[in-house]
Amino acid sequence: MSELLRAEQLSFSYGGVPALAGVNLALAAGKIAAVIGPNGSGKSTLLRALLGYLPATGEIQWQGRPLSRWRRRELTRLVAYLPQSPTWQPTQTVADALAVGRAPYWGPLGLESSGDQRAVLAVAGMLELTDLLDRRMDELSGGQRQTVLLGRCLVQQPRAMLLDEPDTFLDLKHQMDLRRLLCDLARDQSIGVLMASHDLNLAASFADEVIILSEGRVAAAGTPDEVLVPAILDKVYGITMDRLERPGGRPVLAPRV
Amino acid sequence: MKRWSVGRLTLHVAIGVAAWSAAALVCLCVGSTGVHWPSSGEMIFRRESVIVASLVGAALAAAGAAYQAVLRNPLADPYLLGASSGAALAAYIWRLPALTGILALGGAAAVEAGQEAFAFAGALAAIAVVLAITTTRSGARRLDPVTLLLVGVIVNAFNGSIYLLLNAMHKDMPGAGGEIGLLVGGIGHVTRLQLVCAAFFIVVSCATLLGLSGPLTAAALSEPEAFALGVRIHLLRWVALSAASLATAAAVAISGPIAFVGLICPHIARRLVGPDQRRLFPASVAAGAILLALADAASRGLAQQHLLGSELQVGILTGLLGGPFFLVLLMEGSGQ
Repeated sequence: MSELLRAEQLSFSYGGVPALAGVNLALAAGKIAAVIGPNGSGKSTLLRALLGYLPATGEIQWQGRPLSRWRRRELTRLVAYLPQSPTWQPTQTVADALAVGRAPYWGPLGLESSGDQRAVLAVAGMLELTDLLDRRMDELSGGQRQTVLLGRCLVQQPRAMLLDEPDTFLDLKHQMDLRRLLCDLARDQSIGVLMASHDLNLAASFADEVIILSEGRVAAAGTPDEVLVPAILDKVYGITMDRLERPGGRPVLAPRV
Repeated sequence: MKRWSVGRLTLHVAIGVAAWSAAALVCLCVGSTGVHWPSSGEMIFRRESVIVASLVGAALAAAGAAYQAVLRNPLADPYLLGASSGAALAAYIWRLPALTGILALGGAAAVEAGQEAFAFAGALAAIAVVLAITTTRSGARRLDPVTLLLVGVIVNAFNGSIYLLLNAMHKDMPGAGGEIGLLVGGIGHVTRLQLVCAAFFIVVSCATLLGLSGPLTAAALSEPEAFALGVRIHLLRWVALSAASLATAAAVAISGPIAFVGLICPHIARRLVGPDQRRLFPASVAAGAILLALADAASRGLAQQHLLGSELQVGILTGLLGGPFFLVLLMEGSGQ
């Protein structure tokens, strides 16, 4: 698998308070990496720094080219980003919400090509949103809305996705749908996914790699089987964890009560 | 699903022009002499009123749509943000004899362009002060809407005090409009050169804002999301705010401050075409031209002998319309 992203010695401070300190990571095409860690450990900051939104120090390379040498429009066609609380407008239709993801491809005056329309319809079809295209965003359930917002990233036709807690507010069924979708995207379209999450078990169930952040540093990185162990997690979260084994090296974690 | 193509943009513009043409025909039939098709003498006066009112309405609505998009605040409006009072004050300062004397050395065009330039500088300075104080107060990247409005009110009051002070010192200055000139604008006679200057700046600023309608659509998202879609948000904000302030300044220079047109019209347009800035902007401009032309015609109609019997500034009507509209928006916002 070709390497999509490499970050070395990534550091960033908010007004002198360190949020990231010497973070190294890599992401290959078609792989899913989960970034986990307690609140304030730097997960969201890491994703925004990799996007180029926060001016972090260190080296970030997308497809082997330093971030500073990418043109903005070019990079937006490579990397899509979904924040923790994505913005949506209540009166906007699903079709319009999806279409905004094509902004990097629009011509002058925001004019759309037939390719833009095809991309939106293809994603709507893939996410089973075709029947909802004319519905308003405030008429959707939370799960449907999150699917649309994920679709807004997909119509960018990215090679990599940076997702900040996309499983928040999703019930179990929608969490499983999300898991299936991300696995399909990685397998069928070789999209690399870097996903911040609070759900250790969801991450353990499908991520190829888990990166544990603690106070802006990488506390551990490796396969779920290697790093989701009580010896590491107890220290990072400050609680005692129990690990239950499942076939395939996909453990289940639970806090001891 | 219909894609936003050249054909659809043309269709939206054509619908706007057709609606405005119909409204303009109705407006031509209304005057202080009654409701009828105008005589040739009346036609000259009414045609000028309809053109000036439409131009000013279009400019204020364009500015309102841009302010609301850039500040992500549905209550933003050139009048409430202090741009109108800044432009009105600066246009008044331009009339001071010492300044007009200097500008007259450059000829008539320099005098008229000088008024637009002063009004523009005033609008921009007022907006800059409002934004600077609001960002310092709220301390966040997203401007707090309530703080923004409060600061706008204070800047308006301050501009008003300076205006009234200058007005007291130069009581007999011709064409300045007196004390009421700051409070309510109106559609009156303008010279051809004034009209051409204002139209030029309004067309330039509207064309700029139409060109930015794509990035402004993406900028409705949060800053990091817009960044991820390739929007240069800080550059976009400054260019759009400058263009909106230019449109405001050009309009205020020929009409004085007219309240709430910039607030109401984008909301009417949003109900008709949705929140996408690419469709919203042309619809707002059309709504502004139509609304102010109709309000101006209504103010002429009310001036008939058997009704009010005296001239009514159109700014009074838009204020009567916009005040309750603003309160409804505030209540809707608090309901959410």
